[in-house]
Amino acid sequence: MDEHELLLQRFLDHDLTPEERVRFLQAIDTEPELRRQWLNLEMVVAEAVALPKVVPSPKFFSELKNKLEPRSPTWWERLWATVTAPRTLEWNLAGAVAAACIAIVSVVGVFAVIPPRVVEIPAPTGPAQTIAAHMEQVEPKVFVRLILLQPDAHSVSVAGDFNGWNPARTPLERSDGGMWTATIPLHPGRYQYMFVIDGKEWIADPLADEKTTDGFGAHNAVLDVAI
Amino acid sequence: MPPDQQVGLDDAQLVARSLKQDHEAFGQLIDRHASTIVNLAYRMVGNRAEAEDLAQEAFLTAFKALSTFRADSKFSTWLYRIGVNKCKDWLRAKKPGKGPADLDADEALDSHVAEMRTPERLLSQQQVAHELEKAIARLPPLYREAFVLKHVEGLSYEEMEEILGVNSDTLKMRVYKGRLQLSRDLVALRPTG
Repeated sequence: MDEHELLLQRFLDHDLTPEERVRFLQAIDTEPELRRQWLNLEMVVAEAVALPKVVPSPKFFSELKNKLEPRSPTWWERLWATVTAPRTLEWNLAGAVAAACIAIVSVVGVFAVIPPRVVEIPAPTGPAQTIAAHMEQVEPKVFVRLILLQPDAHSVSVAGDFNGWNPARTPLERSDGGMWTATIPLHPGRYQYMFVIDGKEWIADPLADEKTTDGFGAHNAVLDVAI
Repeated sequence: MPPDQQVGLDDAQLVARSLKQDHEAFGQLIDRHASTIVNLAYRMVGNRAEAEDLAQEAFLTAFKALSTFRADSKFSTWLYRIGVNKCKDWLRAKKPGKGPADLDADEALDSHVAEMRTPERLLSQQQVAHELEKAIARLPPLYREAFVLKHVEGLSYEEMEEILGVNSDTLKMRVYKGRLQLSRDLVALRPTG
């Protein structure tokens, strides 16, 4: 860009000092080529200002505003917004104490109504059905159900290694059909026992898988308890 | 607030209302600036349908980014910047690396402006406008955007600096070169007398 062009550009942008402006006007007065160039540039601006304006179509406005219209959220978005919206929890000491009491009572109540957990395990067919229960972590016990069919008996109890051979400590309960049952907790091990009918008649469990002599000419039933 | 009461609000107030999910307020901003942005896009891409699409994109972008708008600048300036960038993206996608039309070909004009045209005919005002539009469309995009913002949209160099992120001396040079090419294109179509 030569000096005249630079002067011309600065004149068009109103960047000339008064002295430079005078110098430029003198130059266009004496230089026809520069004057023509200046007039042509001025003409471009005049024509540019007069260019017809484009009017946006109605479709432009309708489409655009449609795109900006907030769509209604789905039920899932509403639910998500509800559960994830930050909330401020207001509390006081009385309310906190009441809430703590309710929580404690609820927990204790739940533990009170829950039955002890009993897990049945397969047992060999025989005189007794065993139900294992983890009573303690250190000394596990197994619930053993003893069964005897004695429809004519008035009472049935059991005596064995597990109760010091004292029939009074472990009576059986009568159920329908003359069936007598008792459920006793035993540590795993091997036990001998006998049923006592009406407090006087001692018999070995007729359903026992194994029997052993008692040293007095009779036989005791043998019960193996395992987890 | 009803739309008829929003007409009296200035841009900053409408922006504030738009940020509070007042869609009517942003609708007012669209009504107010649509013509400017569509015309800018039309001068930049030379196609009315494309210009309206680009203007729509500019408004949608502005709406989504409204929270990032800094109140220390004018909304119209910010909107211009978004519109110009949309046009530049469109031009890049449309004409990648095509010589003088390339956005980065800032100095590729001189050889073109030197090319004098010979047809001499008397042009009506309407024809002049049509020829000027075509000549503007032929300008390299950097000169085109500078010329359009300065002489079609009538912005100041300070506003153009803010919109284009280019210093005013460079902008003045681009405007001058664009103007020079246009004057030569138009002169070539006029009778020599």
